[in-house]
Amino acid sequence: MLLPWYALQEGLDSGAWLGGLWSSEDYGSGFAEVLAQGKWWLSPALLALMGCFGLSLLPIPRERRGTCLAFVAGAGVVLFAAQAWGIGLRGWTAGWLTALFGEMESRQVGIGAGAAVALIALLSLLSIGLALRGAFGGDAFVAGAVTAVATSILLFTAWPILRILLQAFQNGDGAFEPALVIERLSAAKIWSLRCLSGSGRCGVAWNTLFLAVACGAGTTALGLAFALIVTRTSFRFKKTLRVLTVLPIVTPPFVIGLALILIFGRSGLVNQLLEWSLGVPPTRWIYGFQGVLLAQLFAFTPVAFLVLIGVVEGVSPTLEEASQTLRADAWTTFATVSLPLMRPGLANAFLVGFIESIADFGNPIVLGGDYGVLSTEIYFAVVGAQLDYGHAAALALLLLVLALGAFFLQRRVVGGRSYATISGKGDAGLPVPLPKGARRWALSVALPWATFTVLLYGFAFMGGLVKVWGRDYTPTLDHYIKAFAIERSASGLIWSGAAWNSFWTTVTLAAIAAPLTALLGLLAAWLLVRQRFVGRAALEFATMLSFAVPGTVIGVAYVFAFNIPPIEITGTALIIVICFVFRNMPVGVRAGIAAMSQIDRSLDEASATLRGRAPQTLIHVVLPLLRPAMVGALVYGFVRAVTTVSAVVFLVTAEYELATTYIILRVINGDYGLAIAYSSALIALMLAAILLIQLAVGDRRLGRRAAQLQGSRA
Amino acid sequence: MSVEFRDVVKRYGTTTAVSGISFTVETGSLVTLLGPSGCGKTTTLRMIAGLELPSEGRILIAGRDVTRLSATERDVSMVFQSYALFPHMSVLDNVCYGLRRSGHSKEAAAQQARAGLAQVGLAGYEGRQPSELSGGQQQRVAVARALVLKPSVLLFDEPLSNLDARLRRQMREDIRELQQALGLTVVYVTHDQQEAMAVSDRIIVMNVGRIEQEGTPRDLYERPATPFLARFMGESNPARAHLHRLDPQRLRVQLGPATIDIDNGTASDGEATVAVRPEAITVEAAPGPANALPGTVVKASYVGTHIEYSIETEAGTLFATCPQVDRPLAPGAAVALVLAPRGVIVVESR
Ligand SMILES: Nc1ncnc2c1ncn2[C@@H]1O[C@H](COP(=O)(O)OP(=O)(O)O)[C@@H](O)[C@H]1O
Ligand SMILES: [Mg+2]
Repeated sequence: MLLPWYALQEGLDSGAWLGGLWSSEDYGSGFAEVLAQGKWWLSPALLALMGCFGLSLLPIPRERRGTCLAFVAGAGVVLFAAQAWGIGLRGWTAGWLTALFGEMESRQVGIGAGAAVALIALLSLLSIGLALRGAFGGDAFVAGAVTAVATSILLFTAWPILRILLQAFQNGDGAFEPALVIERLSAAKIWSLRCLSGSGRCGVAWNTLFLAVACGAGTTALGLAFALIVTRTSFRFKKTLRVLTVLPIVTPPFVIGLALILIFGRSGLVNQLLEWSLGVPPTRWIYGFQGVLLAQLFAFTPVAFLVLIGVVEGVSPTLEEASQTLRADAWTTFATVSLPLMRPGLANAFLVGFIESIADFGNPIVLGGDYGVLSTEIYFAVVGAQLDYGHAAALALLLLVLALGAFFLQRRVVGGRSYATISGKGDAGLPVPLPKGARRWALSVALPWATFTVLLYGFAFMGGLVKVWGRDYTPTLDHYIKAFAIERSASGLIWSGAAWNSFWTTVTLAAIAAPLTALLGLLAAWLLVRQRFVGRAALEFATMLSFAVPGTVIGVAYVFAFNIPPIEITGTALIIVICFVFRNMPVGVRAGIAAMSQIDRSLDEASATLRGRAPQTLIHVVLPLLRPAMVGALVYGFVRAVTTVSAVVFLVTAEYELATTYIILRVINGDYGLAIAYSSALIALMLAAILLIQLAVGDRRLGRRAAQLQGSRA
Repeated sequence: MSVEFRDVVKRYGTTTAVSGISFTVETGSLVTLLGPSGCGKTTTLRMIAGLELPSEGRILIAGRDVTRLSATERDVSMVFQSYALFPHMSVLDNVCYGLRRSGHSKEAAAQQARAGLAQVGLAGYEGRQPSELSGGQQQRVAVARALVLKPSVLLFDEPLSNLDARLRRQMREDIRELQQALGLTVVYVTHDQQEAMAVSDRIIVMNVGRIEQEGTPRDLYERPATPFLARFMGESNPARAHLHRLDPQRLRVQLGPATIDIDNGTASDGEATVAVRPEAITVEAAPGPANALPGTVVKASYVGTHIEYSIETEAGTLFATCPQVDRPLAPGAAVALVLAPRGVIVVESR
């Protein structure tokens, strides 16, 4: 063992540890810590490792060896985990452990490279052992992949969330007090309903709920209007409407809020116009429920549109034609056949809007004003003057419960009564055109809305090009220069713009995270779709679940879980990358699953019977066929990493500042010009990245026709 | 190389797809797994390939226990029902795939692949994409791809089910020829009784996860052991009959007024259901010979090569095929049925 067991203050690349591998307590390797520093509790893991190597030399039958390997390595993993969580900075981490083993004068910091390698080795040996016994189809690669995916999800999704639960039950000193959670959760600040009687403010929980319900209903109605126009009318600018669906992916979530401030804010256009023409004093009308709702409607309508277009297209024209041959006119058909068929889809869209709204952090923080919602409240509890982790944890718990509740409801809606009638069979028949009334409604709602969206983006762009919005509309590039100035000097280029630091950090970390996201996501998808193993359902459930966890919750959870040993990475770039990867991985999984289910399973099996081992099958057969999905996951992983706010706002430090958090801070300080200039640059960059990758990879789909035709196995 | 199953069980959760089967496939023979859809044929085949591992029991290939080995580690190749050609590779690359994975150099693999393609009559198609081939050609590529690995056992899962009727006959003859010429050990799955009889050395008939009967095609057709088999292997009419043993080898079957003496050494005296093959019934105008079974025509359909009759008799309604198409009998006509001993089978005797 040639690597220091524990994490180093100054990082591995300094090289200072090389001299202290044996003698120093801080730099010692695993063996040195056991032998020279007397840290006996590390020995089981190391002994297990040695035991496994011994086992693999013994001439015993395959299955016996598998059993022994699995047992020894498994014991090693368990004891490793036990010591890592049991012994912390101040000796034993729990009172009962001290009582049991006596006082521990030693301490240990977070695990480092050596410990990580040892753990990975133990897990690999465990998988090999299980594979030798015939689990996972007898394939060591599959066994290893399952172990890797499961362990990483456990460590970086399940454990942090569990940590929130614990934190909510603990008082300031870390002692366990179950009553506290009830006290925290029943505070008037959370549940007060006084706003209804007009005598004060409502609690944040109600605020969040009101907003989410309004947002869900609004986005569903708008999304339906758009979907109907695109699929059921001869409207000419359908293609343009589809472009709207790309916007929310490339737009940092608060940009809409910013643009609204430019129009409706105190020194926004509308207020100025009113003051100038009618002498009405400027109001702060936009700050609060109305403003946040408006921003969310703009931000999330495209998502609802995306959901509903599938739903509307899924209604089989044959059914509508059948209805018409049964003497129903267009309106009756629409009202009695089409709409009821869409009902589960509408419910789904509503829940999607609901979930997006409660998870939103950017718009409430920009526009909320006094109108607090859970996500902003959590933020202020962690970074604000209160610094009340327990309160934050309790709120996060509440938010989590809301999100998961909506998520399960949505799964029930989608899973239970889906009438989607798309089938492999060519569905003859033409979609029935919308009846007049419905058509007029859809157009009258959707067109102004689309226009306004375009206007918003236009203003957002222009806001970065004038001196001071509201006071001095002189065109200028000052904001861009301030953000992105580059100076030439004797020692080469100096990136003197204010934004460069956060910009490069963002791009670098996102570029590191994107391939990892795609890889892990597709690997998990491949395992879930193609392999059968014990715990498959649980793994699928875990990945799906992490969809539903709001970013704010994840961010807080990471802060709680990873600022103490054994995994102590708060304040590093690593935690940001990990956060990106595990936030966005579910999307990779979903894309992978969708793509993979279009590829006949027998292709994998053919490869296996042709002597292709699992990794070879993956490389030569699955990945080439999955290329479009892979590119999608890559782009998405990158773009989402760049635009995300809610989770990382808790994780950034002065050293590792990200573009979005930097912008938010500018906005909070009222420096709109720079914020807008920076946001526009980001949006342009994201669009360029998407286009470039699309062009570079293209979507060659060799012989996909044949692959899709060869559907099921009889 | 022989394949041996010993009490193999396969469960999926609570459903049992294969419930305790044992059989042996001799080296160099073609054995067919035959049975209705859902009876566990594919599951059995996939367990030979190593694509499924059995829940219980042992599997041996060439005397070696392979029960826990993965598909890659077994010396077995499979031709899939959907062919499973890799759509992103040319025909040649498809056939090379297995050779490359087993460590052949690129040139050696290409050379063997060309030879394999020539063997199935596809020389000259190397550069095509699978999507540019007809169904029959895709099938041949799939066979060549499996064949070039010279596996101990070659598996076919309903290889002909995606082809049209004419091509099906051609392909099954080609497969049989290739198997006999190269002395291959083949396990073949189909639900088509005629196809099974045409290609197989032996047939294993399965039903709801069990082996119903095993034997040569002739054994199974002429001496089905269960009513299921009598119905499944060709058509047959169930009929109530009285059995009477004449001597240790001969049995008299009484069907209404008709008596037929058949070879049978096992059945005991008494009432029983017998199976009567439709082609063993000769339909004559009444009154007919003394020993005939009288009846009335209920339905007659002309199908080109023969006429199909439904005839009501004392022993039940019998379905008969009659090659004399030039003297059709109308419904209502009185007829006499003469039964050939070969087509009267006692099945409920065990
Ligand atoms: N992966 C599976 N999961 C659950 N049940 C299965 C699976 N594969 C097959 N079965 C069941 O096992 C039985 C046998 O299937 P199979 O071997 O495919 O039949 P066939 O004889 O038609 O090839 C069927 O009842 C089928 O539903
Ligand atoms: Mg089958």
